[in-house]
Amino acid sequence: MSEHAPEFTDSAASYVLRALPPEEVAGFEAHLATCAECRSEVQRLQPVADALPSSPDQLAAPPELKDRIMSVVHAEANLLQAAGPQADVPARRTPADATGERRRRFGLSWFGRPGLALATALVALVLGGAAGAALFGGGNSARTVTAQTVPQGASAKLLVRDQGGHSTLVTRRLPTPGSGRVYQVWLQRGNGAPIPTNALFGTSRNGSASVDVPGSLKDVDRVLVSSEPVGGSRAPTRTPLISVPTA
Amino acid sequence: MAPPENRDTRSLADEDLMHLVAKAQPGAFEVIYERHSSAAFSLAYRMVGTRNAAEDVVQEAFLNLWRSGGRYDRARGSVRTWILGIVHHRAIDALRRATVHDRRRTGDEGIAERLEARERTDVQAAQREESKIVRAAMDNLPAEQCQVVELAYFGGFTHSEIAELLDAPVGTVKGRMRLALDKLRGSLTGGLGEVRT
Repeated sequence: MSEHAPEFTDSAASYVLRALPPEEVAGFEAHLATCAECRSEVQRLQPVADALPSSPDQLAAPPELKDRIMSVVHAEANLLQAAGPQADVPARRTPADATGERRRRFGLSWFGRPGLALATALVALVLGGAAGAALFGGGNSARTVTAQTVPQGASAKLLVRDQGGHSTLVTRRLPTPGSGRVYQVWLQRGNGAPIPTNALFGTSRNGSASVDVPGSLKDVDRVLVSSEPVGGSRAPTRTPLISVPTA
Repeated sequence: MAPPENRDTRSLADEDLMHLVAKAQPGAFEVIYERHSSAAFSLAYRMVGTRNAAEDVVQEAFLNLWRSGGRYDRARGSVRTWILGIVHHRAIDALRRATVHDRRRTGDEGIAERLEARERTDVQAAQREESKIVRAAMDNLPAEQCQVVELAYFGGFTHSEIAELLDAPVGTVKGRMRLALDKLRGSLTGGLGEVRT
């Protein structure tokens, strides 16, 4: 039994939130195998993280999504049936499956059933590759850009991931947008008119806020923020008070 | 309208349905989908930000569940937790690998892209009540603690990225995460149990 290592202090919280940098995950999971204190902390905090998916507004999944998914499911089920009973034997659980960490539960193989591997491939071909296509790929690098223009006493930073548009704007000590108003994020290309986004936000009492900036920033030169009436605007009604270059 | 053969499966518990999913029975999978697709879509939408990208994540997650249903282990938690874990995992993959964000479009979905779920079943009503409880607990967190949880869990950022973003030491960010989860644990103890029972 190894002792708790100081470098992993508070790592359990980061781990259950899946906020450990990828290069640290394996090290922490290896540490978990020998540190009862960290294991206990993960077990204590995991149910809290499991409750977080409940917090977003509950939305209805589009009906056409069910149609798409069920068409794949029925096609694969038919292929499995046609392939015979051997195709429908679930993969034998390995010791690693039985003792694996929580994350491995979600790293589920598409090919848990031998017959299903073939079925999946066939259905992917039948459906034009949509079912079997990998949805995601690419690198993972992020950079931080500091706002050039902010209200006096405030600050703002934009975190941009390269090879994609995912970015988040974080403000500190930003004044409230005013009664009946919200802050709205805009994108600007060159000196063109600001393009509206659906990113509307307010601030906490200390002026801090975090807001995802929708849309790819690939061809965007600046991210702007202005105070707008609740519900947002199609064009800025006030001069943007935050301007962040994207490069 | 459910086909006749689905009428009996609708009375089964999630855990029993998963046994049928493991045997590649589409009817059982369909019931699981109907029970949990709203929660899955809501989480995906919150994380990736657009309807199209959220649909991709949910489709990928449910097909993953269909193809690996035999691996569900009820000792490790509810089916719902398992499904939402898959969705979260897929959404983080999408965010960190960034490709999904190329699909984000500005202005084409409008400010009012909301698909309010109708409370068609007791399950959905309970989910909405649970949503209120968790959100209230989040709202009661100190702003700096709520911020790191939001950035980490829903934004898919690592603690190192958050530290850079906030001009704060990594240890401070990790500490805020722990404090936040501690407080949420205290707030949620009891509340969710009443909804789920």
